[in-house]
Amino acid sequence: MSTEKSASSASSKSSSLSLDTWAVIVALLLALAVKFDIFRNVPW
Amino acid sequence: MASSISLTHVESGNRLLNALRIVPGVLLLAGIGYAGKILEHSVNAYAKAHHWTFPNIEYVLWAILIGLVISNTLAIPRVFQPGIATYEFWLKLGIVLLGARFVLADVLKLGGVSLGLVVIEITVSLALMTLLGRLFKLKPKLTSLLAIGSAVCGVSAIIAAKGAIDADDEDSSFAIAAILALGALSLFTFPAIAHGLHMNDVSYGLWAGLGVDNTAEATAAGALYSDAAGKVAVLAKTTRNAMIGFVVLAYAIYWAGRGQAEAVTNEAAFLWKKFPKFILGFLLISLLVSFHAFSKEEVASLGNLSKWAFLLTFAGVGLRTNFRDMSKQGLRPFIVGALGEILIACLTLGLVVGANRIWGL
Repeated sequence: MSTEKSASSASSKSSSLSLDTWAVIVALLLALAVKFDIFRNVPW
Repeated sequence: MASSISLTHVESGNRLLNALRIVPGVLLLAGIGYAGKILEHSVNAYAKAHHWTFPNIEYVLWAILIGLVISNTLAIPRVFQPGIATYEFWLKLGIVLLGARFVLADVLKLGGVSLGLVVIEITVSLALMTLLGRLFKLKPKLTSLLAIGSAVCGVSAIIAAKGAIDADDEDSSFAIAAILALGALSLFTFPAIAHGLHMNDVSYGLWAGLGVDNTAEATAAGALYSDAAGKVAVLAKTTRNAMIGFVVLAYAIYWAGRGQAEAVTNEAAFLWKKFPKFILGFLLISLLVSFHAFSKEEVASLGNLSKWAFLLTFAGVGLRTNFRDMSKQGLRPFIVGALGEILIACLTLGLVVGANRIWGL
């Protein structure tokens, strides 16, 4: 029972991030990737 | 211990499955968007090689058109749906990354002008849609949803307001269908009118950001005119989006006062909950660029990543626009929406032309 509770609370925590927050997190990760040359001169 | 480990395994397995479910649809978005880009290049090259006078059709329009043709002629298999629904994520990601193409001074200058115009636009739009809703005897909550959708930011505002004013599902799907149909029409009418009026990029971008309701359509309508107009359209639209909490709060208090919605106990928490957080990400990236945290090449790379994210969004705009589904929603909300939108488009055009004369945009 307790494991069920902790599992459901963990899953609700992970799903509680909104689409906006995910967009900001991914954008910041991409900005870091560009800054540290993981992505260099992204073409268009 | 063992059970918690196995639960963790099940959870991570579920997450992986959920992530995999979006892959086919995302690939479809990317394929359509890239096809739009290829078509732009090849049609222009073909026209040039054959000395044709052919209008430059941007990848934005090609991506939307391919999406529209697919969604209105073929039944899109269910396996693609979860991925297609991610177009809103790509839109928000594109907007946050677009912050790299604005130094904070531009944001403050253009954002200040936008804010003044947005306040006028929202006030007049709410009054106008309420009046039209009463004239056409629409249900009061449907009128509220249409007013919020056309004054602030389309679908997200309607969804945010639905819970706050306790509107029913039917009303919100009527309002969403009307806003989406009108947004699709504005993709073609706004650029055509602006070309006819020879508007400059900043004026047109402001007009698209103020006059087109849904963020994805406003972004596309701006980009259809020019890259610079697209940037300004996103900024103006984002300023409008920032107002969502205030407008929804006002309506929630109004309907709670009439005993037809739950009372708002904590206004500050309500405003924060409804505030679109991606705007903060946009400002953060713009702030970092303004303080030279990125080199010129890095800023260009971030700008290009933003364009790739928008490419997927534009494909999604076409794919989720199904005219047959929209026509099922009834004519009266659409007429009220259309009349309101035409009047709001005229009003915002007047505001932008006036601002251009005063401040020389």
